Amino acid sequence: MSAVIRRGLGVILVLLGVMLLIFVVLRIIPGDPASVLLNEHASEDSIRRLTESMGLDKPLPVQFLDYLKNALRGDLGQSYYMRKPVLSLILTAFPYTLKLTALSASFAWIFGILAGVVSAVYHDRLPDHLFRGISLLGISVPVFMVALFLQYLMYFRLSLLPLMYDGSFVSMILPAAALGWNSAGSVARLTRSGLMEQLDSPYLDTARAKGLSTKKAILFHGLRNAILPVITLMALQLSGMLSGAVITESVFGISGLGKLALTAVQTRDMPLLQGTVLFTALVISVGNIIADVTNTLLDPRLRTKS
Amino acid sequence: MKKTVLVTSAILTATLFLSACGGVSPAAGTGDAPAAGAGSGGGTSAGLSGDGELRIALNADIVNMDVHRNTNDYLIPMNVFDTLFAVEKNADGSSSIVKSLVDDYSISDDGLTYSFTLRDGVVFSDGTPLTADDVRFTFERILTLPDSQQTDYAISIKGAQDLLDKKADELSGITVQDDTHFTITLAEPFSGFLAQLATPSTSIFSRSLVNEAGEDFGIDPKKTIGTGPYIITSWEQGSGMTLEYNPRYWGSEPSVKKVTAKIMDPATMDMAFQKGDIDILDCLFLDSAIVDSVYKQKYADSIVSVDRLGMNYFILNEKIGPLSDVSVRKAIQMAVDRQSILDSIYSGDGKLEDGIFPSGCLSYSTDNQGWLKYDPEGAKKLLSDAGYPNGFDMEVSLDSSAAETAKRALEIIAQNLQDVGINASIRSYDRASYLDLRNGGNMNSYLALWLLDYNDPDNVIYTFFGSRSNTVIRSNNYPDENVIGRIGDARFIVDNDKRMQEYAALEKKLVQDDAVWVPLYSLKHLFVKGERVASFTPQWAGWSDMYFSGVELK
Repeated sequence: MSAVIRRGLGVILVLLGVMLLIFVVLRIIPGDPASVLLNEHASEDSIRRLTESMGLDKPLPVQFLDYLKNALRGDLGQSYYMRKPVLSLILTAFPYTLKLTALSASFAWIFGILAGVVSAVYHDRLPDHLFRGISLLGISVPVFMVALFLQYLMYFRLSLLPLMYDGSFVSMILPAAALGWNSAGSVARLTRSGLMEQLDSPYLDTARAKGLSTKKAILFHGLRNAILPVITLMALQLSGMLSGAVITESVFGISGLGKLALTAVQTRDMPLLQGTVLFTALVISVGNIIADVTNTLLDPRLRTKS
Repeated sequence: MKKTVLVTSAILTATLFLSACGGVSPAAGTGDAPAAGAGSGGGTSAGLSGDGELRIALNADIVNMDVHRNTNDYLIPMNVFDTLFAVEKNADGSSSIVKSLVDDYSISDDGLTYSFTLRDGVVFSDGTPLTADDVRFTFERILTLPDSQQTDYAISIKGAQDLLDKKADELSGITVQDDTHFTITLAEPFSGFLAQLATPSTSIFSRSLVNEAGEDFGIDPKKTIGTGPYIITSWEQGSGMTLEYNPRYWGSEPSVKKVTAKIMDPATMDMAFQKGDIDILDCLFLDSAIVDSVYKQKYADSIVSVDRLGMNYFILNEKIGPLSDVSVRKAIQMAVDRQSILDSIYSGDGKLEDGIFPSGCLSYSTDNQGWLKYDPEGAKKLLSDAGYPNGFDMEVSLDSSAAETAKRALEIIAQNLQDVGINASIRSYDRASYLDLRNGGNMNSYLALWLLDYNDPDNVIYTFFGSRSNTVIRSNNYPDENVIGRIGDARFIVDNDKRMQEYAALEKKLVQDDAVWVPLYSLKHLFVKGERVASFTPQWAGWSDMYFSGVELK
């Protein structure tokens, strides 16, 4: 119990740190929100008036304390660019990202583990070479290339799937595959190598000796042992997917969190960027705690230690 | 062997399953998205558009539907709102200002007082009638909104400066006689005023509707209501929007009844158009190599082009090192091979420009054209006479979000400069940093494009040289106070011929005598129309966005 409380306090510290860091970084990098908003039609007067209306003419410590005070009350400020409360923008966008991440994670993990198992079972034979080739491609090709290739193949050539996200489940398949491709590759490789390590271990020999086929031995005994590092990897991948979503969401026109953050950076929309980073940090911290708990439940060795 | 077959068939089954999913998609697609169905047809059967829907792609989302708070995109103000006047393109390519919401008007002899009568029976799309008070409200709002971006369009009205500086509570220059009659008095005569009333920036809003909507105006589609031909039915930030015909519109009914605009990457919109899922493709969003290799070949008969009222400049900052020397700037003017940029990057779809005012601008003067010739040898000689026989280091700044074509143009310019001995190097900045550097007056040299917001020379010359602070913001730091003063005064010359002569003289002084920049070229704006479009007439070309009413569907 005390471990959970300790972790909770850790999250709060992390969030405070993130807030300070993003606040400072945003003020150090060049680029002024008023100029971006005014774009080509800027004049000295209009920049001054806009800066004042955003409250950016106040001293930095005052701005930070104001921000902190409001954030504690749950008010993350209003987006300069989109003119809506940041919190409501984030809460509108997050379900899209959640859907995308969940779908691409299931794609990546199911496909990745399957491919890894098949590779291990048929190692050094055709299916193994095939899947290893695909996984290598998955790891080495950047997300936007995968997205473009999938669009070209599935939409342009084969007319199977819609080009852009339009709210339907079917239109989420391409983005999920594009985003999950990379992770599927890593999962497949780790599963395969994990299983290969187990292949020579005495307990598998025992399993085979009592009459199980190699395939069954790998599936029922080897996989259980090989899967632990894979689960750790999968938990780490979740945060990777949140950042990969920035590109995927842009390509497929999904108005999710990643796209929101991208717009915020491009326009120096400080409240919005602060909000999205803070929110993402929260999601990742909580995600890590969940991953730890899951690991503890799955692996008895970790349980006895604490 | 048997196992291999098993695995292969498993993959095949998986693929089939995927295809089955895809096959279901058009049928299962939501009723409001016939676009998805058209794609699946693949054949020409999907080519007709009985539903009157126009599907377009945008390269970026609009910022805000409230044009007082946004100068980036005019898509919404052009199609959902109306202005007092409008710009109409003539057969010869020139443009003229015609009445829109205004039914009748007169201007006093001193050029100060404009009396207007509003068109009868105009209503906003929810039925609220348009009154003269709404016009007054619109201009007061432009001046009092804390984050207003359109104050330039109201500042010439009498009392505007006081309202802007919060010294007054109302705009003394606008008097409302009754629901349809009002007069606008200017502080000084300004012949560009009618042109200003024809730009999307001065779209007329309703006092009651804007007040009712409060902060949601421009954000919530349902509360962003205008008098124009279309109503915004949905806007999903970052993804796209839909518009529908406004049955209460006072003008003639357009052929396009519904518009679906989606935000897409260039490669994506290229695919979508070729597949027949977009009806009009704006070539500005694409790389010109693709336009050349695909569209000019396969779709040559479907390309619609219009001359843009605007031009490109290569700007030199007089504050920085050797660039303060007029001979060096003249050498740079001679060193840039503009024709080769135009030919190699834009495949000749444009025209060289030698001044400040692009072709088609009211003050365009042929006397100021044709003087600038590509002459690298002459440039070298000028540089060496000016004391730089071995050249100097020079930074050329690039906006990383600029179009691919602009990047390639800058590469050629940098190469041209290197050819005459100037060690030019390109440095790329993200948009926000780029604007920061430029607005601070510290950018060495950069490529600028100015599209006229309204057809008056003041719109371009004042932007770059009209005041000390404007020369800083545009990073040219032009030092001649006398010329800057003359540009400010030229606004108020009542006699039109004299005014145009003054602009021609200023143009010659700035570009030929003082070599403030390298004038480059004006470009054509190309569109490709798809199979469902019968005709598309791009409006006069100061703005990039299109009027959907200019599209006739089959």
